[in-house]
Amino acid sequence: MTAATPAARRVERPSPPPRSWLGPLGMLAFAAITVWSAIAIGFDPREILADITRGSHILAEFFPPDFSFAPRTAQRMLETFQMAVIATGIGCGTALPVAFLASIVTSPGRPVFLVSRGVLSVIRALPDILYALVFVAALSIGPLPGILALIFFNVAVTAKLLSETVDGVDVGPTEAAQAAGASRWQTNRTAVLPQVLPHYVAYSLYVFELNIRASAVIGIVGAGGIGQLLNERRKVFAYDDVSMIVLELFVFVFVIELISIALRRRLV
Amino acid sequence: MIRFEKASVVYPGGVEALKDLDLEIPDGQMMVIVGLSGAGKSTLIRAINGLVPLTSGDVTIDDVSVRRASQRQLRRIRSRIGMIFQTFNLVKRTTVLNNVLMGRLHATPTWRSLIGRYRAEDVEIAMQALERVGIVDKAYVRAANLSGGQQQRVGIARALAQQPKIILADEPVASLDPPTSHVVMRDLQRINRELGITTIVNLHFLDLAKVYGERIIGMRAGELVFDGKGSEADENVFRDIYGRSLTADDVLESAAVA
Repeated sequence: MTAATPAARRVERPSPPPRSWLGPLGMLAFAAITVWSAIAIGFDPREILADITRGSHILAEFFPPDFSFAPRTAQRMLETFQMAVIATGIGCGTALPVAFLASIVTSPGRPVFLVSRGVLSVIRALPDILYALVFVAALSIGPLPGILALIFFNVAVTAKLLSETVDGVDVGPTEAAQAAGASRWQTNRTAVLPQVLPHYVAYSLYVFELNIRASAVIGIVGAGGIGQLLNERRKVFAYDDVSMIVLELFVFVFVIELISIALRRRLV
Repeated sequence: MIRFEKASVVYPGGVEALKDLDLEIPDGQMMVIVGLSGAGKSTLIRAINGLVPLTSGDVTIDDVSVRRASQRQLRRIRSRIGMIFQTFNLVKRTTVLNNVLMGRLHATPTWRSLIGRYRAEDVEIAMQALERVGIVDKAYVRAANLSGGQQQRVGIARALAQQPKIILADEPVASLDPPTSHVVMRDLQRINRELGITTIVNLHFLDLAKVYGERIIGMRAGELVFDGKGSEADENVFRDIYGRSLTADDVLESAAVA
């Protein structure tokens, strides 16, 4: 350094904070648990290589998909679509106010906030197929228990995602609405909803896509939709029909994805 | 008339933001509060509409206690007090008009506000408020698309739409450039004079305070250290409020040059 450096600017640089070993230790622990689990369960990738050819003749039966089967899937595919629409409508519609109850920013009080968060966690603890099993047992086989199962699942997922989004909104407008004498729900509607609306639409579209996919699974336990047909064909070893259904699902979900991308682009 | 009686605010961390404050603000006055950051200016302003609750003492507006008000009464009190914020606090994703209509929520039934259908009279009041601050042509523009000065005028229009008796402005020009600051301050001054609305403004810059403050009060560490006319507030007074000599950072115009 030259002598021209002003003395006043020579503030001592701070020493770096002590290095934390928490991160590396955590990673190490995670790796150890993974290895332990693999050994305990007898997970051996070599088995995959050894067995890969064994099922090849069954796999071959999946190809090519039987396109002549497609017309017979139309009825069930439509049912799946209708189930998904109803469940998304009711589920996401219910989730909107619930999400506001389950965020500390918008909830009318701490007890309400804690109870709604708790209830959502409990609902989310079970996968959709278990709800389908319960409702099929309680009601009957068919789309109704399937729709009910999807609604439960939709409320829990959408309300969780949305309430966490609400947690992160700009609270400035909230303060402004309160200062103007607005009530809690007027504040939520005018100061918070416009901020989270694009997210809400995106989550709803995502949930709709999940519903189409879930219908393939919950149909297996008799909850209606394309899954029920898929299961019937699988039982009689009509694998080319199964692969036709899988192909249709693939196209279906892909189209929804395209639509939701377009919608989101317009909203944001 | 706004009256502080031995009003104190102690924040949970133990910070005393307001200490036994006694203060009367008559109707129609334009009062400027000056003081360093953390002197209690924001707390004083927010104590008036109950956004910050007092820990002891009381604030009354026309002899109605803010401290003892129920939630419902507090909303009534707030409906008569417009507030303007440093960061504007607009909902940026929605239109200017929707932002201004927030000022009509207190007079709107809940079901109407939930479906977003305001009464025609309320829309008219909002439009008139926008006319008063000269940006009615932006009514259907998204708030995010306005400049800072325009956004603050939307904030003023929102306060005006309440048809308030009192306007509280918490550092309304701190996020604006010097020329825009004067525009916004002149808007506030005009509103105070033409509509007779009691106007209380927190300001950082001393020259602005002297120009626009009919009355200036100085705050230091939660206490009132000066109360007088703008013309009386000379450099010695400000030295007292700030606890140090003035620097170029304390006045708007030199800050603009620097």
